[in-house]
Amino acid sequence: MMVGKVIGQVWATRKADSLEGLRFLLVRPLAANADGVCDAPEIVVAADLLGAGDGELVLVVFGRAARNVIGRGQGVAYQSAVVGIVDEIQLAGAGRS
Amino acid sequence: MFVGRVIGEVWATRRAEALGGIRLLAIVPLSAGDTPMSEQAMVVAADQVGAGVGEQVVVAYGHAARNALGVGEDAAIEAAVVGIVDDPASAFAGGSTP
Repeated sequence: MMVGKVIGQVWATRKADSLEGLRFLLVRPLAANADGVCDAPEIVVAADLLGAGDGELVLVVFGRAARNVIGRGQGVAYQSAVVGIVDEIQLAGAGRS
Repeated sequence: MFVGRVIGEVWATRRAEALGGIRLLAIVPLSAGDTPMSEQAMVVAADQVGAGVGEQVVVAYGHAARNALGVGEDAAIEAAVVGIVDDPASAFAGGSTP
């Protein structure tokens, strides 16, 4: 699981049948370096059934856990999904120990 | 599995039912010398062991994570704290530190 910020949305009309009707968000994961919290360089695409908006922090799960969120069984072409919208995140211990 | 340091806690009221009400920790994966891997995305893991901020923990993924938590395979959880490192200084004793 990871936590990241919603930075946009992706539309794909031509897609795998099992993805029909799903909303896809672009999520920039939060990362840490020696100085504290920063943005991760990579961007993740996650299916969203919760209605997260631009700029919100979300929890994203991968693999089987993601397909469990979607609820269309395990035989589908999903790999990541939004599982929660973050109310609060307290990061006290980031940076060098 | 990896060793990481707990840097905080995450709360989400709006959540998928399959996530359950479990405690969620933000964890940074560590490289040698107890330093965070540079720009590595932090991992959010479910915690039933009771780890605190600043502690070093062992995190498992996937089926192993759900086994550790005692939740079924239909849970929307994919990472879990499975242990708290006793002696953080010893965990990277064999690694090269700058």
